[in-house]
Amino acid sequence: MDDLLVVRNLTKNFGGLAAVSEVSFEVRRGEILGLIGPNGAGKTTLFNLISGLLASNQGSIKLEGEDLTKMPPYRRSAMGVGRTFQVVRPFDMTVLENVMVPIFAHYKSAKEAKGKAYEILEMVRLENMADSMPSSLTLAQRKRIEVARALATKPKLLLLDEVLAGLNPSEVAENLPLIRQVRDSGVTILFIEHLMDAMMAISERVLVMDQGALIACGTPDEVTSDQCVITAYLGEEAPEC
Amino acid sequence: MRTNKIIVAAAILALGLLAVPLYFTSTFILHMFTLVFFYIALTAAWNIPAFGGKFSLGHAAFFGLGAYAASILYVKYGISPLIGIFAGTVCAMLGGVILSFPLIRLKGPFFTLASIAFAEVLRMVAIDWRSMTNGSVGLNIPFKPGWLNLTFTSGMPFYYIALGLAVLVILLAWWIRSSALGYHLRAAAADEDAAKALGINTAKSHFFALMWSSGLTGMIAVFYVFYNYVLEPGTAFSMDLFSLQPAMNGIIGGMGTVWGPVIGAIIMTPLGEFLRFYLGTIQQGLNFVVYGLMLIAVVNFVPGGIVSLMAPWFKKKKSGESSARDN
Ligand SMILES: Nc1ncnc2c1ncn2[C@@H]1O[C@H](COP(=O)(O)OP(=O)(O)OP(=O)(O)O)[C@@H](O)[C@H]1O
Ligand SMILES: [Mg+2]
Repeated sequence: MDDLLVVRNLTKNFGGLAAVSEVSFEVRRGEILGLIGPNGAGKTTLFNLISGLLASNQGSIKLEGEDLTKMPPYRRSAMGVGRTFQVVRPFDMTVLENVMVPIFAHYKSAKEAKGKAYEILEMVRLENMADSMPSSLTLAQRKRIEVARALATKPKLLLLDEVLAGLNPSEVAENLPLIRQVRDSGVTILFIEHLMDAMMAISERVLVMDQGALIACGTPDEVTSDQCVITAYLGEEAPEC
Repeated sequence: MRTNKIIVAAAILALGLLAVPLYFTSTFILHMFTLVFFYIALTAAWNIPAFGGKFSLGHAAFFGLGAYAASILYVKYGISPLIGIFAGTVCAMLGGVILSFPLIRLKGPFFTLASIAFAEVLRMVAIDWRSMTNGSVGLNIPFKPGWLNLTFTSGMPFYYIALGLAVLVILLAWWIRSSALGYHLRAAAADEDAAKALGINTAKSHFFALMWSSGLTGMIAVFYVFYNYVLEPGTAFSMDLFSLQPAMNGIIGGMGTVWGPVIGAIIMTPLGEFLRFYLGTIQQGLNFVVYGLMLIAVVNFVPGGIVSLMAPWFKKKKSGESSARDN
């Protein structure tokens, strides 16, 4: 199968803490790949490394064979890496304008940018909120602004950091199909989620991180029956992983 | 309907402003208006990096560079200030290039501190480089009236020049804010990391904002010096007049907005003059006490500046626009 992203030996230390250590994996083109792990496992740090907001201490990141490791974040975005943030912080402007911001990289005229932004808002079903300020929206809607903004960069790979966290069950049910819909539109997805049911329902493969290391990788069924994963989640010392 | 009303109001305002010198022959009133226009322009120029959340207290550097460039060319080499306008703009932009290093590398208050230091260093240079600047004595613009010398026998031409500058910089600021650069700056101001991850070269955006801001400040400074005839390091690189005052105007009026600087300059310029001349004679620096109190009040009670109090009016206008788009 065709690999979109290849990560090798990626390492990030914060002082003495190895937030990400020697992580290697591939993301296959067109898949929905889940990333799980206990709090502080290093998932968000891994996203920061891939999107370029943090520089790695070691290792390499390749998208379609091109080395991203030394590129600044804006170039990685242009190459096709999009992401959302765990803590949603919409820009202090209308919902439509939030989505226009990244579109300006491709269309310089405000009019064209507006049209494109509107199309994306329709996709995430926020078109009725276009002229509202994000602060007046629900958390679920604000998370969809995050997704819309990231989609506006035309990503090949979309990194979603807990887009379902903090939502009530009916909101989860509303936002979940969106992830699959985005994938079906041709975007490969790597997503972090704590909600196991949701994760298992839509991901084809799952990566498991614990204390900076990748401890398992496989189908949802394989991963949930993995002894290392079970011990990691139960918080015991893993015997031999 | 509403847009028509705005156009009519703007036209009346424009005619009124154009007619002011014809009705008020008092030099004091004309001077006050001229000063307000200069400060609207300076504040609107200062405000451009503030779209991106960058707070400078060193704009006196650009002011001084522009003012000295044109004055030295004129006084020492006899070159017309009309050419000096370009020289002043370019010199101030070169200063902007230098300040762009801390601008891009330093966050929040650290950039602000660097900007203060930058202006202070240039003030020292202006004092010490006697062969060019006449040191702390300064340069006098000889009184030789004529357009080529930007020297006039009445205050009227400068009233219109300053009005023109104010309108020009407001329009530019408005255009920048609604262009790609403006959106990128506003995104960077709200969340620099998110902006970067969305493909924005935030360093480049901040750099261009500073180029606009420094160049415009230098250009305004050239006119200002020829309006005042004298130039010495303490005034040209004055922290009080050209670093703090625009920043104060910006905060009080509404930082990072198009109309904030206008409102701020209209309120603060006469007040600043009053405080400097009347309180300054009682005790030097007393004006800063008043500024400090005003700042505390605004930051606590109207953090968005006075313009945010007028937001309902602007909102109405906005929804009018969007419904026009839906049709
Ligand atoms: N900028 C930073 N400086 C220092 N330490 C950091 C920094 N960012 C993250 N860390 C630390 O690195 C470790 C991994 O954090 P990270 O945010 O990647 O975890 P996570 O898997 O996303 O957790 P969660 O599920 O709670 O979001 C944590 O111990 C965290 O405290
Ligand atoms: Mg996280």
